Amino acid sequence: MSALAKDKLFPALKKRGSVCSPGNHEFRQKEGHWRSKHSVSTVSHSDEPSQRDETSRLTVRVENTYQLGPTKHFPVATVNHILKDVLTAYLQEAEYDPEFCRQMTKTISEVIKAQVKELMIPRYKLIVTVYIGQRDCQSILIGSRCLWNPKSDTVSSYVFRNSTLFALANVYAVYFE
Amino acid sequence: MEEYHRPCDEVGFNAEEAHNIVKECVDGVLGGEDYNQNNINQWTASIVEQSLAHLVKLGKAYKYIVTCAVVQRSAYGFHTASSCFWDTTSDGTCTVRWENRTMNCIVNVFAIAIVL
Repeated sequence: MSALAKDKLFPALKKRGSVCSPGNHEFRQKEGHWRSKHSVSTVSHSDEPSQRDETSRLTVRVENTYQLGPTKHFPVATVNHILKDVLTAYLQEAEYDPEFCRQMTKTISEVIKAQVKELMIPRYKLIVTVYIGQRDCQSILIGSRCLWNPKSDTVSSYVFRNSTLFALANVYAVYFE
Repeated sequence: MEEYHRPCDEVGFNAEEAHNIVKECVDGVLGGEDYNQNNINQWTASIVEQSLAHLVKLGKAYKYIVTCAVVQRSAYGFHTASSCFWDTTSDGTCTVRWENRTMNCIVNVFAIAIVL
């Protein structure tokens, strides 16, 4: 494989400040059969908008599936339990500390994403957001709006509170049309 | 039958454009205001709805998720993180942080491409 083609296949390797881990599967449908294709996922902890290399974009062309909606819907209740379990496990005994919570938000979001991916719900893209804040007399409001297809897309959410901190985890599941 | 070629998804999500749109919305709603418990609900709703409306006007084939967190400015800490499982070539995200004397506002926009 030429160097240019290799660059196109693994664009993430050129990014600065992010960690690459091969091994995640990306599904691509061809002639009605699922084929798993090895792809690279990146974990980026920078809080600037991610810079993407314009030249290394991979154009994906998929065949028509003639499918109008998901065959298996996203299990909101199951995911609510996952969120509850993960947040309770990580934060039950925790006290608010800036460094600890900074690391925790990233860790928890990765853990939740991994657990929801294990459910193997086909053709769903996931967005996991985690908010952790110190709890004491301050006021906060977190809201969201989504423009999507309500028949196939959904959100799952859980709030955890203890004496010193609160944590909110959301999972948005978007069907890949 | 003619083949339909995907127009804008070839270049992916334009984060800068979204950043500008959202920043304008937040400035419009919260600019010059002080933190007020009574209005906060209305403000977050306006920010999110206006951002969504402007993003839709771009006319691109994307599904959008916009989240907004408004925190009173105090000595207390607040952290947010997000993790996404999607197609990095066509989908994207943008975060806007805004603050004034009495409050902090964090708006996240996630855009997922629709393949036509």
